[in-house]
Amino acid sequence: MFPYLKRALSNLFRPAVTEKFPAGEPPKAAEGYRGRISYDPTLCVNCGMCMRVCAPQCMTRTIKPLEGGAQEITLTFDQSSCTFCRLCADFCARKAITLTDDYMIVGTQPEDFIVSGTFIKKAPPPKLTPEQLAELKAKAEAAKAAKAAAEAAKAAEEPADPACSADNG
Amino acid sequence: MIQKLIDKSMSKSPWIFHINAGSCNGCDIELVSVLTPRYDAERLGFRLTGTPRQADIVVVSGPITLQTRDRLVRTLAQVPEPFCVVSLGSCPRSGNVFKGSYAIDGPLEKYVHVDVSVGGCTPKPEAVVAALAKAAEILAEKRKEMRK
Amino acid sequence: MTQFLMTAFHVLVFPGALFCVVIGILLAGIDRKLVARMQNRVGPPLLQPLYDVLKCWGKETIVPRHARRGLFLYAPLVGFAALITTALFIPVLSYTAYSTGGDLVVILYLLTLASVTMMVGAAASGSPFAGVGLSREMVAMISYELPFVLVLLAVGKVAGEGSALGCTFSLQTIVNWQAANGSILFHWSMIPAAIAMLMVIPCEIGMHPFDVAEAETEICEGMLAEYSGAPLAVFKLSHCVKMYVMTALFCAMFLGGLSTGIVVLDVLLVIVLCTVVTFVSMTVPHAVCARLKVEQVFKFYWTVVAGLAAISAILVWFGL
Repeated sequence: MFPYLKRALSNLFRPAVTEKFPAGEPPKAAEGYRGRISYDPTLCVNCGMCMRVCAPQCMTRTIKPLEGGAQEITLTFDQSSCTFCRLCADFCARKAITLTDDYMIVGTQPEDFIVSGTFIKKAPPPKLTPEQLAELKAKAEAAKAAKAAAEAAKAAEEPADPACSADNG
Repeated sequence: MIQKLIDKSMSKSPWIFHINAGSCNGCDIELVSVLTPRYDAERLGFRLTGTPRQADIVVVSGPITLQTRDRLVRTLAQVPEPFCVVSLGSCPRSGNVFKGSYAIDGPLEKYVHVDVSVGGCTPKPEAVVAALAKAAEILAEKRKEMRK
Repeated sequence: MTQFLMTAFHVLVFPGALFCVVIGILLAGIDRKLVARMQNRVGPPLLQPLYDVLKCWGKETIVPRHARRGLFLYAPLVGFAALITTALFIPVLSYTAYSTGGDLVVILYLLTLASVTMMVGAAASGSPFAGVGLSREMVAMISYELPFVLVLLAVGKVAGEGSALGCTFSLQTIVNWQAANGSILFHWSMIPAAIAMLMVIPCEIGMHPFDVAEAETEICEGMLAEYSGAPLAVFKLSHCVKMYVMTALFCAMFLGGLSTGIVVLDVLLVIVLCTVVTFVSMTVPHAVCARLKVEQVFKFYWTVVAGLAAISAILVWFGL
C-alpha cells in the first residue's frame, strides 16, 4: 500500500496523462493501422476476389446493364460489418482496395458506414460474321505470305553460310 | 430554471451500463479502457454503473446470441427514460463474421432503436469516447423532447 | 414567532439543509477530483455530484412490481431528514443550533437511522442484489459501530473530566472544553482515537475501500440496485450530506480548539478542515486501496480500529 501512496501523492503535483481528445483533433493512429476501407473504382476490374475472401461478407455488388452491352458495377463496403482483416486489400490484384488509418467510424445513420464506388465496364467488341472472319483470315494470310517473301529475298541477297547448309544436309 | 439545469446536467452525467450480448471480449476491454487515465471518460461525467435502473447510456457489444437475446430485451426494458443505446463494434449492427450462424439472432436494430453506432473490430478507444459524447448530446435532446 | 423563524432558519438554511447540501456536494466534488488527480487523470468537474443528482432527478422513477411502493419511495426521504437533523446537533465550532445533554447519543442513533433507512429501502425493493447488499451493509454497520462508540466514550471522558458524571455526551460542552484547553487531537492519549475515527468515517459513508454494500461490479450497486429517478437522487444527496456530517463531527470532536469565536470565520474554517479530513480519511484510501472483502472489513474494524479506539479509551479512563 505504501509505494502506491507515495505514487498517488506525487501524482497530485504532476500533469495528468489524459489525452485531450474530445476537444480538438483525434490523435493519429499507429502505423499500419487497419481502418476505414477506401475503394478506387477506376482501378477495379470486377474480378470478385474481394467478395470471395471476405469472411463477414461485407461487400455487395450490384450490376446494372446499360445500353450497348456495357455494365454499371457498384461495389459497396458496409463498414459496420467489416472485421478489418485486410484480406480484400491483399487479394486485390489491381490494388483498388486499401485500408486507411481513419478509425473514427461513428455514426447515427446506416449511411455513415457505407463506402461504395461505381464504374462502367465497357462492352466487349461485337461478334464477327463468318464472311468477316474469312476476310480477316485471308488478310492475315496475305500479310504472312508477304513477310515470308520479303525474308526469302533478304536471304538470297546474302551468301549462304556453308557450315549452316552442311548442318542442314 | 430547474428544468433547464436538469436538461444541462443530463448531458454532463451520463452513466453507462454495458451489456455483453455474446461478444468476444475485445470490445468490452476497449470500453473499460475508455475509463483508464489515458482516455478518462470520467472528466466528461461518464461512470460505469452496475444496474440498468441507473443507466443513461446502454452499450451493447457482441452479436445477439440466442442465449442473450431474452436477457438483452429484459434488461433494456428496465432502463428508465430517457436513455440512449450505443452499439459497440461491428457485431451488434450486422453480426460480423458470425453472420448467418444458427446461434445468433441479430442485428440489434430488431429489438431497440440504436442511437449511435461505432464501427470497427474492435473500435479504438477514441472512437468509443466520441460515440459516447455524441450519445450524451442525444440524451439531452431526448430529455427536452420528453418534457414537451 | 421569532422562535419559529429561527427554527426554520436552522433547519432549512444554516446549519441545516442548504448548508449541508452545498458543502456536501463541494466535498464530494473535491474528493472525486483529487482521486482522479492521484490516479493521474483529469477528473470530473468540481460540481459533478450536483450534475449527478440533478440528472437522477430528471429521470423516470420506476417502482418494481415486487416492491413495497410506500417504503420504497419514502425511505430515502426519511434517511435524508435524519442526516439533516444530525447536522443540527453538530456545532460549527463556536456556533451551535441545538444542544442537549446527550448530543453524541442522538447523533449515534440518527446516523444509524440513515443507514437503516437505506436498508429498509433496499429490503422493500424486493431485489436479490439489494438483499445481498443489505446483509453486507449490516455487517459493515456492526463493524464500525464498536470503534465509533469507543471513540465517542473516550472523547466524552476527556471533555467531561470535571463534571458530575465524569463523562459528557454534549458536543457543546466538548467544544467549549476544547476552546479552553486546546483541541483534543493534540492530547497525546487521544491520537489513537483520532486515527480510529478517521478510519470509521469512510466505512460510515460507504466510501471506496469499505463500500462492500454498494459494490457496483460485484452485486449491481447492492442496495441501490432497483432505485432510479428521484429516490436515487435523494440517496446520492444523502451520501454527499453524510460526508459533511461525518467530517464536521470529527472537526467538532477533535479540532474544536481551533475556533476563532467569530461565526463567519468559523464556518470558513470548518469548510477547510472538512476538506482536509475528507482528503486524509477518504480520498487517499480511495485512490490507493482496492475494495476489501466483507470479512476483511469486519476483521479490520474489530481488531485494528477498535484496538486503537480502546487504547485511547483505557488511557483516558486512567486519567492520562
